[in-house]
Amino acid sequence: MSLLSDTLVLLGKELRTEFRSRELLTTTIVFVLIVLVLFSFVFDPTSAESRRFGPGLLWLAFLFAASLMLQPCFLREQANDTLSALRLAVRDPFAIFLAKLCANTFFLLLAELLLTPIFAVLYGVPVLRVFPSLLLVFLLGSLGVSTAGTALSAISAHARMRELLLPLLLLPILTPVLIASTEATAGLLASEPATRWEWLGFLGAFDVVFLAALWLFGEYLLEE
Amino acid sequence: MKRSVFGGLAVLALLAVAGGAAFFYAPAERTMGLIQRIFYLHAPSGMTALVAFLICFIGNLGYVFSRKEHWDWLGVSSAEVGLVFCSVVLVTGPIWAHPVWGVWWAWDARLTLTAVLWLLYVSYLLLRTLTEEPGRRALASAVYGIFAFLDVPLVYMSIRWWRTQHPQPVVFGGRGSGLEPRMRLAMFVFWAALLALMTFLIWLRYRLEALRASAAAVRREAE
Amino acid sequence: MKNLSSVFAAYLLGWAIFFGYCVSVGVRLRSLGDEIERLKKQLKSK
Repeated sequence: MSLLSDTLVLLGKELRTEFRSRELLTTTIVFVLIVLVLFSFVFDPTSAESRRFGPGLLWLAFLFAASLMLQPCFLREQANDTLSALRLAVRDPFAIFLAKLCANTFFLLLAELLLTPIFAVLYGVPVLRVFPSLLLVFLLGSLGVSTAGTALSAISAHARMRELLLPLLLLPILTPVLIASTEATAGLLASEPATRWEWLGFLGAFDVVFLAALWLFGEYLLEE
Repeated sequence: MKRSVFGGLAVLALLAVAGGAAFFYAPAERTMGLIQRIFYLHAPSGMTALVAFLICFIGNLGYVFSRKEHWDWLGVSSAEVGLVFCSVVLVTGPIWAHPVWGVWWAWDARLTLTAVLWLLYVSYLLLRTLTEEPGRRALASAVYGIFAFLDVPLVYMSIRWWRTQHPQPVVFGGRGSGLEPRMRLAMFVFWAALLALMTFLIWLRYRLEALRASAAAVRREAE
Repeated sequence: MKNLSSVFAAYLLGWAIFFGYCVSVGVRLRSLGDEIERLKKQLKSK
């Protein structure tokens, strides 16, 4: 299937570009660290409060980081007009989006996994015992963030003040992801860990809806 | 000009009838008394805002598939009018909450949803302001509008579920819960009047967009 | 009557918002209309 092969080729390009410099990954991780530390000044990170606020703070930090991390997504294609080249190279323009959102999900997930141990230490939260389920929450949540974020990155690519516009557009749209991910994570980090399947199902639904919308309408965003 | 005066007067008449229904026909509420009458403006405004955003969604779809600019005009007009109705909800809500609960704001499910809706569509208008080229502006905002509207039921569901797990005082009463038939009728009459107002405002704003397009054309001729 | 001022304030603010928006659109309509008339006259005189 040409869509799959085109996507894999482009995904390879996205990953190679990032791993050559690793600047996006490093800045994202450092940013989330800064936010987590700053939060600890505002909320007293004793055990009881951490467990209540921890999941929400973690996902807020991820969302803020993602809204910064997603900016170069389509902007970097403008510098040398590489977007036109990409459009000519693929049969289905959705491959471009699919590749970018897979790459973004991967980077976001990587950042989240690297930060989780640090979060666990700073806030005194037990993550090891629920790690597989936590990974699932991170995956579904990051997929939602990346799908919406990739679409909005394309939407805001030709606007003025696009660096400020992307977070502005992205954060209200991601309200369901924030709520669902926080609730699912809170369930896993509670003293009696429980997998809240309804929230995971909801995240899955969000991902499906936005993926479908991107598939239907994304190609119009790539027009000249 | 004549049509807008006639239309405006017709809407005002409907609103007068609605006001009468809300204040004289509907009975007084048992516990809250007079303050509850704000409900007749507050709740239907919220419902009307959603209708306006649905019209915006239709305009967005119309533009994406036909690229005829009048769909874009419909989109921006209904988004702005929807935002106006949202603002009324967000203003009347606290005025209702304060005497009854002593707080200006409660993160009650409907009010939270309205706040998020307001942010979503303010962003729609900001996106348009910041995108200069008209064709791209129409397309980018149309696709964003589609995403935003698809998001609305997801936002609503997530807030509802979240609120059932972290209950807050339900300040404004479940919609239609414990509504006496006369109250329900008054609410529907008010809603009908607000829908007429919404139609009138969208029509006015649409004419402004259409006029802007012809002004641009005439300006180009004059140069 | 308890809370009369609150009810009054709510409805007053609500109508103010609707009316304000209506007037703002109306004003912009009128000024655009005037500009178009002016430009058309300019074109005719050319």
